[in-house]
Amino acid sequence: MVDLSDETKGLGKIFAVFGPLAFGLRYLRERKWVLAIVIVSSVIATLFRLLVPIFIGDAVTSVEKVQFSNVEYYSILIFVVSSVSGGVQFIVNYGSQYISQTYAYNLRKDVFSHLVRKQFGFFEEQTSGDLLSRSTMDIEASRNFILNTASQLIPTLFLIIFAFVFLFTINPYFAGIFTIAVPILIFIGIIFQRKQRTHWRRIRTYYGQMNEQLQENIVGNRVVRGFSAEEQERKKFSGTTGSYYDEYIIVAKLRGKYNNLMPLVVSAAATGILLYGGYTDVISASVVGPLVSAVNIFNLISFPVSFLGRLIVFSENARAGISRIQTVLDPVQDENLESGDQQRLRGNLKFHDVDFKRGDTEILKNISFEVKAGEFVGLTGRTAAGKSTLVNLIPRFYDADSGTITIGATDIRKVSLAMLRRSVAFVPQEINLISGTIKENISFGSSNDGLETIRWAAGIARISDFIESLPNSYETMVGERGITLSGGQRQRVAIARALLTRPEILILDDATSSVDPETELEILREIRKDLSGTTVITVTHRESALRFSDRVFSLNDGVLTEGEFREKEPVASGDFLKGENMEEP
Amino acid sequence: MAYEYEEQEEKFIPMQKGSKAFRRLVKDIFSMKRDSTILVIAVLTTAIAATLYPLALAFAINSVIAGNLANLYFYAAIFFMLYIVQFFSNRERTISSTILAQSVIKSLRERAFENLQYVPVTFFGRVKTGYLISRITNDGETLSEFLTFQLPQVISGIATVIVSISIMFHYDFNLTLYALIVIPVLMGFTISLQSKVRRNYLRTRRAIAAITGNLSENINAIRTIKSFNVEEKMEQRFDGLNTTNFKANMKATLLASFYGSIIRIIEAVGIAIVLIAGAFQLKAGVTSVGILVAFVFYVQEFFEPVVQLSQLYNSYQSSMVGVARIYGIIDFPKQSATENAESSAKFHDRIEFRDVSFSYGEDDALSGINITIRKGEKIGIVGHTGAGKTTLSNLIMKFYSPTDGEILLDGKSLSQVNTGEYRKLIAPVLQEPFMFKGSVYDNVLFSNPGATREQIDALVGRFSLGEIFRNLPEGLRTNIGEMGRNLSEGQRQAISILRAFIRDPEILILDEPTSQIDPYSEKLIIESLSDFLKDKTLVLITHRFSMAALVDKIIVLNEGTVVEEGEFQDLLNSDGVFHHLYTIQYGNSGDS
Repeated sequence: MVDLSDETKGLGKIFAVFGPLAFGLRYLRERKWVLAIVIVSSVIATLFRLLVPIFIGDAVTSVEKVQFSNVEYYSILIFVVSSVSGGVQFIVNYGSQYISQTYAYNLRKDVFSHLVRKQFGFFEEQTSGDLLSRSTMDIEASRNFILNTASQLIPTLFLIIFAFVFLFTINPYFAGIFTIAVPILIFIGIIFQRKQRTHWRRIRTYYGQMNEQLQENIVGNRVVRGFSAEEQERKKFSGTTGSYYDEYIIVAKLRGKYNNLMPLVVSAAATGILLYGGYTDVISASVVGPLVSAVNIFNLISFPVSFLGRLIVFSENARAGISRIQTVLDPVQDENLESGDQQRLRGNLKFHDVDFKRGDTEILKNISFEVKAGEFVGLTGRTAAGKSTLVNLIPRFYDADSGTITIGATDIRKVSLAMLRRSVAFVPQEINLISGTIKENISFGSSNDGLETIRWAAGIARISDFIESLPNSYETMVGERGITLSGGQRQRVAIARALLTRPEILILDDATSSVDPETELEILREIRKDLSGTTVITVTHRESALRFSDRVFSLNDGVLTEGEFREKEPVASGDFLKGENMEEP
Repeated sequence: MAYEYEEQEEKFIPMQKGSKAFRRLVKDIFSMKRDSTILVIAVLTTAIAATLYPLALAFAINSVIAGNLANLYFYAAIFFMLYIVQFFSNRERTISSTILAQSVIKSLRERAFENLQYVPVTFFGRVKTGYLISRITNDGETLSEFLTFQLPQVISGIATVIVSISIMFHYDFNLTLYALIVIPVLMGFTISLQSKVRRNYLRTRRAIAAITGNLSENINAIRTIKSFNVEEKMEQRFDGLNTTNFKANMKATLLASFYGSIIRIIEAVGIAIVLIAGAFQLKAGVTSVGILVAFVFYVQEFFEPVVQLSQLYNSYQSSMVGVARIYGIIDFPKQSATENAESSAKFHDRIEFRDVSFSYGEDDALSGINITIRKGEKIGIVGHTGAGKTTLSNLIMKFYSPTDGEILLDGKSLSQVNTGEYRKLIAPVLQEPFMFKGSVYDNVLFSNPGATREQIDALVGRFSLGEIFRNLPEGLRTNIGEMGRNLSEGQRQAISILRAFIRDPEILILDEPTSQIDPYSEKLIIESLSDFLKDKTLVLITHRFSMAALVDKIIVLNEGTVVEEGEFQDLLNSDGVFHHLYTIQYGNSGDS
C-alpha cells in the first residue's frame, strides 16, 4: 500500500507529490508501454519545441548579419520543427488521456468489486452518498493528477533540464544563474504542498457530505415535504456547500501566493541573465542573438514552472481522494465469494448455542433450535427482539459471535458464501427493486429462467394477475423510475424473485407486512404446496400466518422459546387483540 | 439501448444550448460585482504587463547593440518590475477567480437543491437518484476547472490579443497583416468542429452520470444483491457502463488532441511568415532588428492565448454541457403555482373528495372517489394490497393532484391552497419510514425542530415505546446510521410515529403505522392514541383490525373504488369485502 500519511523528512517531502503516481501504476500494469511511449513522445515534443527559440535566435542573427537566404532556411526549419512537435504532441495528449482513463477505469472496477463484496456491517458505517463520491469524484481527482503528470510532468522536468543544457551551451555563466533558482523553487514547492494538505482532505470530505445529503433528501423527499421541512433541509445543504466553499478559498489564497512566486523566481533569473549577458555583450561587442535565445528560453519555461506549482495542487487533491478510496479498497471487511463446486446445502437447519452481540448489547443469547427439512416455521416476538438478526445469520449476512449453525451436517462457515446463499433465499423487510422490467426483477437471482417459470413464481406470489393486467405485462418497467407499485405489490415481486431460485431454505423476514392477510395466506399455502421440499421460516406478527405454521418460535429478550400456536393460548406476544376487537360494538 | 434512459431524462429535463447557458453563466458571474471587477482588473494588469515586457526586452537589446549600458540597466529593471506587477496581479486573479468560480458553483448547487424541494413528487418517479446527484455534484465540478483557471485566461487572452495587435500595428502595419494571415484559417477550423465537440462532451457527461446512477442503485440494493449472490452479474453490468465511459472519453480526447496539434502547426506557419516577411522588411530598410525580435515575441505572445483558447474550447464545451444540466434542474417547473396562493391554510370543517380519479400513467389507481372527512372524524381505510389506499393518502397530502375531480378543503379547491401551509396542518406516518443519518432524537426533531428532548421522552413514555428502543446502546441518542440501517423496521416505524406525533397536528395520516410492530406494543400505542386523538382528525390505513377500535367510520377500497363505507360492526355483519378480510385474519385459516 502506498503510504500517503507521509511524514518524510527534507527532500523526501517533495517526492511525496508523486505518491498518487505510485498508486496509479498499480492500475496500469499492462499499459506501462503506453506510458513509456507518452514519456518518450513528450520528451521529443519538448525537444523540438525548444529548438524553435534557438532557430528564432539564429534567424535574428542572420538578419543582423544581413544573410537573408538564411532567414528563409530558418523559417522553414521552424515550420518543420513545429509541425513535428505538434504531431508528436498529439501522441502525448491522446496517450496521456488514455493512461488516465485506463487508470480510472481499472480503479473504478476494483472499487466496485470491493464494494459489492463488503459485509453488511460496512454499509451500516458508511453512507451511500459518501460512497458514491468516493467512487466517482475521488477517483476523478486522482485521475486528473495522473493525466497532468503523464502529459506534462516529464516534459516540464525535461524542459527545465534542456533549458539548462541549452543555456550551458550558449554561455556557462547563464546556466550558473539558472542553477541558483532551482533550490529556491523546490523550497517554495515544499512549503506550498505542506500548507494545503489538510484543506484538500476537508474539501473531499465535504464533497462526500454533499452527496450524502442530496441522497437523503431525494430518497426522503416525501418525508421532507410531508413535514414541510424544505427550509430546514436547504439550510443544512447550504451549511455543507458553505464549508466546501471556505476550504476552497483558503487553498486559493495559498495558491495565489506560492504558485505565483515560482514564475517570479524564474523571471528574476531571466533579468539576471539579461543584465549579465547585456553587460558582457556591450563590453565584448559580440552579437546579441545568443542573449535573445537565452532570455527567450526563460520566457518559455516560466509557464511550465508555474505549472509545477499547479501539479502540487493536483497532487494534494489526489492524495486526499486516494486516502478516501483506500477505505473501500481495504479488504478487511470483504467477503470471500469464491464458489467451490459443492452441492447445495440440504437437510435440517440447526442452531447450536448461538450468541450475537452488537457493540456491547447482547442481541441473541444461547440460541439453540432445529428446523427439519421441509418444515414451515413461524418466528415471532416483540419489536426489536432480534428476530431479523437471527434469520440474517442463516445466509451469513452477519456471523454469530459464538456457537454454530449447520444445514444438514455442514457448518455454514465451512462452505462458500456463494453456495450457502444459493441454497438460502432471503426476502427482507425492505424491498429493493432494481430499475428494469418486472421480468428482470423476478429473474434477478436466476437469469436463465424462461417466462413460463417466471409466471409460475409470480403465480405463487399472487402477483401474476396484476402483472398481466398491465399493458406491457412482464416487460413493464419498475424500480426507480418505473411504475408505482404499492408496498404490498413490491413485497410480492420480491417473494416471486426468491421463489424462482427454488431455494432449499426460504426466509420471509416480515416479507408480507404490507400484503393484506387474505393474500398473504394464499401465498403461504401455495408455497407449501408447490415448494414442498423447501424449509420455510417466516418472521411475522400476524396471527393468521403463525397459525398456518407447523411450529412457532418466539424470541424475547434474545431468548428463543418454542410454542405451539393455539387460539386461546397465544405464544408470548401472540395476538390477543382479537378478543378486544370482538368486544367492540 | 445504451442511452435509452439518459435520452428520456434529457427530454424530461430540457437542456439549454451551450451558448445560451454560457451567457446565463456569465450574467451570474458578473452579478458578483466586486470580485468580478477585481478579476477583470487583475487579469488586464497581468495581460498588459505581459505585452509590455517584450518591449522592455527589445529596448534592452537595442541598448546592448547601441552599447548603452545605462539604458540596458534601466530597461532590465523595467523588465523585472513588470514581473513583480504580474506577481501581485496574478495573486489577486487566482483568489478572485476562485471566489467567483466557487460562489457560482455554490449558488448553482443551492438553487438546484432548493428547486428539488418544490418540484412535483412525480419528478422523482421519472429521474434516477444517482443521476440527479451526478448533475448537482459532478456536473457542478466541471465548472470549477473552467471558471477558476480558464475563464481568466479567456479574458486575458482576449486582452493580450488586442494589445499585441495594437502594438504590432503601431510599429509595423504590413508585418502585422502578415502575422494575421492565419487567423481566418484558425477560426474556420474551430467552427467546423464545434457541434462534434459538444456532442462528444455530452456523451461523457451522460456516461459518468450513468456510472453514478448505477453505483447509487447498487449500494442501495446491496442486501438484495448479496441475498441472490449476483455480485458478479452486477460487476459485469457496471463494467459495461465503465467501458462506455472510457470509450466516450477517449473519443472526446481524440478530437481534442487532433485539434490541439493542428493549432500548433498553424502557429508555426504564422511565425515563419513573420520571419520571412520581416526579413524582407528589414532588407527594404523599413524596420529594425529590435522591432523584428519584438515581433517574433508578439506573434508567440499572440498565439499563446489563441492556442490556449483553443484548448479551452474543449473544456468550455464540457463545462457548458455540465452547467446546462444543472440549469435544467433549476428551471424545472415547481409543483403548481400555489406558493402565490393565500399564505395561510386553516381547517375548519371538512375535506371532501369530489369524483376524484387518479392515474400514475397507466390505468386509474383511483376512480370516482367521493368521500368526506369531517373535522375531528376518525376514518379507517382498508382493502387489499394495490387497492389504492396509499394513493388516497398521497392525494390528501397533496403529493399528487387528482387527474380528474377535485379535493376541497372547507369548500375550497386544494389546488388553490398554499401547499406548505396546508401541510403544516398534517402529520403523516408514511408506509416506508424514511430515516435520516443521526440519532433517534434528531430524526424525531426533524419534523419539529422547536421541540425538546424532554418532550420526546414524554411522548415515548406516553405511548410505551421505551421497550422498543430498549436494545439501543445509547438510548435515543444512538446513531442510527444512514436510512436508519442500524435499526429494525419496527423501530423505524416507532420513530416515524413519534415524528408525526411531536408535531401535535390537526390532521394525522397514518399509513399502516404499526405493520412491523408487535401486537403487544401496538396495543399499548392504541390505548394511548384515543386520548391523543381527541379533537384531531385521523385518516388511518391499515390491514390490522386491531386499530379499528380507533375509527368512527371505515372506507373499504377495492381496485381503486370505494366499495363499502360504514361503521365497524355494520360492515362486519354484512357479508362484504370487509367481512372477508376480517375472517381471514382472525378466523381459522381453513375458514371459508
